[in-house]
Amino acid sequence: MSEYIIKIENVKFKYDKDSDYAVNGVSLNIKEGEFTAIIGHNGSGKSTLAKLINSLLLPTEGKVYVKGMDTSDDSKLWDIRQTAGMVFQNPDNQLVATIVEEDIAFGPENQGIEPSEIRRRVDTALNAVGMYEYRKRPPHLLSGGQKQRIAIAGILALNSDCIILDEPTAMLDPSGRKEVMETLKKLNSQGKTILLITHYMDEAVLADRVVVMDKGTIKLDGTPKEVFKNIDKIKGFGLDVPQVTELTQELIKEGLDLPSDIIDVKELVDILCQ
Amino acid sequence: MFKNLTIGQHYPVESPVHDLDPRLKIMMTIIFIVSIFFIKNFTGFLIVIGFLTLSISLSKVPVKFVIRGLRPILLIIIITFLINLLMTPGRTIFKIGFINVTEEGLKQAGFMAVRLTLLIMGTSLLTLTTSPIILTDGIESLLSPFKRFGLPAHELAMMMTIALRFIPTLMEETEKIMKAQKSRGADFESGNIVSRAKNLVPLLVPLFISAFRRADELAMAMEARCYRGGDQRTRMRQMEIKNIDYIAAFVFLVYLTAIILFRIW
Repeated sequence: MSEYIIKIENVKFKYDKDSDYAVNGVSLNIKEGEFTAIIGHNGSGKSTLAKLINSLLLPTEGKVYVKGMDTSDDSKLWDIRQTAGMVFQNPDNQLVATIVEEDIAFGPENQGIEPSEIRRRVDTALNAVGMYEYRKRPPHLLSGGQKQRIAIAGILALNSDCIILDEPTAMLDPSGRKEVMETLKKLNSQGKTILLITHYMDEAVLADRVVVMDKGTIKLDGTPKEVFKNIDKIKGFGLDVPQVTELTQELIKEGLDLPSDIIDVKELVDILCQ
Repeated sequence: MFKNLTIGQHYPVESPVHDLDPRLKIMMTIIFIVSIFFIKNFTGFLIVIGFLTLSISLSKVPVKFVIRGLRPILLIIIITFLINLLMTPGRTIFKIGFINVTEEGLKQAGFMAVRLTLLIMGTSLLTLTTSPIILTDGIESLLSPFKRFGLPAHELAMMMTIALRFIPTLMEETEKIMKAQKSRGADFESGNIVSRAKNLVPLLVPLFISAFRRADELAMAMEARCYRGGDQRTRMRQMEIKNIDYIAAFVFLVYLTAIILFRIW
């Protein structure tokens, strides 16, 4: 029970009475310290799922538990949001204050924490995302990747065990995406549970576990290697596979003897050059 | 072009005036405004000018910045001057057609112009020496006693903070939309006022729609970060009264006493 930080039990959700289910019978358990990527094309229900975990939306049917707390339990609302912090897609629309450190302090200030403790948390969070030198800057003068790191720091300052990111890199340039991914990998190695919702297969490859969603249900679930082997299935959901995996599969079709689960360029190079 | 926009006119240097507690500065400014209306003749202004000179030199803000603050209300000063000049009855100095300038009029006009100028210079010193964010904190703290009468002090301050945060973002966006619409042939520069105003529609509609979308997303992000209004909320930055505040309050009291004594005497 306790080793799963997030338990989703047969959850269904629809936005309107008459609309179709955005999430249609999803069950998913996430272990503490795990780095999970959820992929799926637009409208596959992945962002809705994230909001269900954070209690921003409540399931129409089924239950979501965060650290054993039921998200539909009103009295646990703030504990749930503190445990599972959420970072959104648009970096501009989630920063509240005009100074970086003030923004990071926003979460703990809401929790009613002692000023000296807030100061300590803000400094720790800034250092964790490598933005300490920028603490006095106004956010609108930062790059997209930096703004997103500030948003992540804002969640860290809440002392969240789990960080849910809803397409955090969708609006960033490649270097900004790299910054964010490196930050996430680092936080994960320090024990944070990461749930990354993304469009980019290169990012999903970096996770411990990949969940593929389509039409509100989970279609594939496993390690990146297990999932990306199923090229045809994934393409059927309107998604891409990592280029190197596709290349490997093409080579296999041409008669080369290669393992079918290659997801890393270096891995393929090593095998081909043997 | 909006990238380096500074909001308000804050002049960031380190000075004793910058260091003062914002609450004290706001209260002093309000009393300063009132004090100016206590003065009934030109010699009285010497006290105000003396106090202002002291404050400005201590604040290390260049005088030209303080004077620049007058520019937006220059027109009001001129109009006030002219109305007083022409409308005050009394001993005529000279007369051209219907224009009749009296000695009393000239005195009154000069008096009003000096009063307005000093008023604006004094108040702009507050915004020049206090960053908007600290000013907001000060206003929130000063208004919080009125919470019991239903005044939403925290909400007002939060609105100001968010406005300050989003002004540059929306400015950038305006610029982007303008470029996008210009590239499709929109014309924002020519025509008379009416047609220019009409041409702004394709700029304002997308801007408003985007602002509403932003507001929606921001609200969700704030909720996700446990925002639940001002109750039980703490602040990282604490305001505290320091020695310099006592000194400033003392100097200000001396100034105020001088004004009152001068009035009675």
